[in-house]
Amino acid sequence: MNFYEHTLIAKQDISTPDLEKIETKYKEIITKSDGKIVKVENWGLLSFAKKIKAYKKGFYIHYKFEGESKTLEEIRKSSVIDNSLLRHLTVKYKKLDTETEYFKEKDNNEKKK
Amino acid sequence: MKRKNNKKFKKPQNALTKLSLFQKSDSRFSKNCPLSGKNAPVIDYKNIKLLKRYISDTDKIMPSRITSVSQNKQRKLTSEIKKAKILGLI
Repeated sequence: MNFYEHTLIAKQDISTPDLEKIETKYKEIITKSDGKIVKVENWGLLSFAKKIKAYKKGFYIHYKFEGESKTLEEIRKSSVIDNSLLRHLTVKYKKLDTETEYFKEKDNNEKKK
Repeated sequence: MKRKNNKKFKKPQNALTKLSLFQKSDSRFSKNCPLSGKNAPVIDYKNIKLLKRYISDTDKIMPSRITSVSQNKQRKLTSEIKKAKILGLI
């Protein structure tokens, strides 16, 4: 078992109930294929540095989980087909850092301004 | 955005000790690596504030001879910057 981080970028024009569906869908995929979810972070709507497929913004969902190569394959399979996603990235870690949240602070600062 | 690490913009202290014009100033790039050491920041693709310091205006990765990052950390930086670029964060 290894630790992984997985981030999804969903399209901007998706409604909020659909977003929750996507979040739970990938949670189930991880847990069904021998994975264990450590943490789920919702980064919210962020603007891209460059346009991705004519989209300027996207919803970011971030998973921290423990899993095997089988879980990664399952995630990859379903996210490649998924029409509501723009991009995805999985990164392997030796240790998961669950305390620091880089994007939570930023959101608060933006609201204050 | 505040720049916490102002070290790299300091002028070299030994610049005036040069004897002739044609002598090479060896003190110019002999600064310590800002990313290694005890209280060094974590290089991670989510830590955009840190990564943005090491890319140019045109989104190129800065060479380590300008930023004085050590070779090991420069390798890490490039991989993390590329990850952030995939996610459209930089």
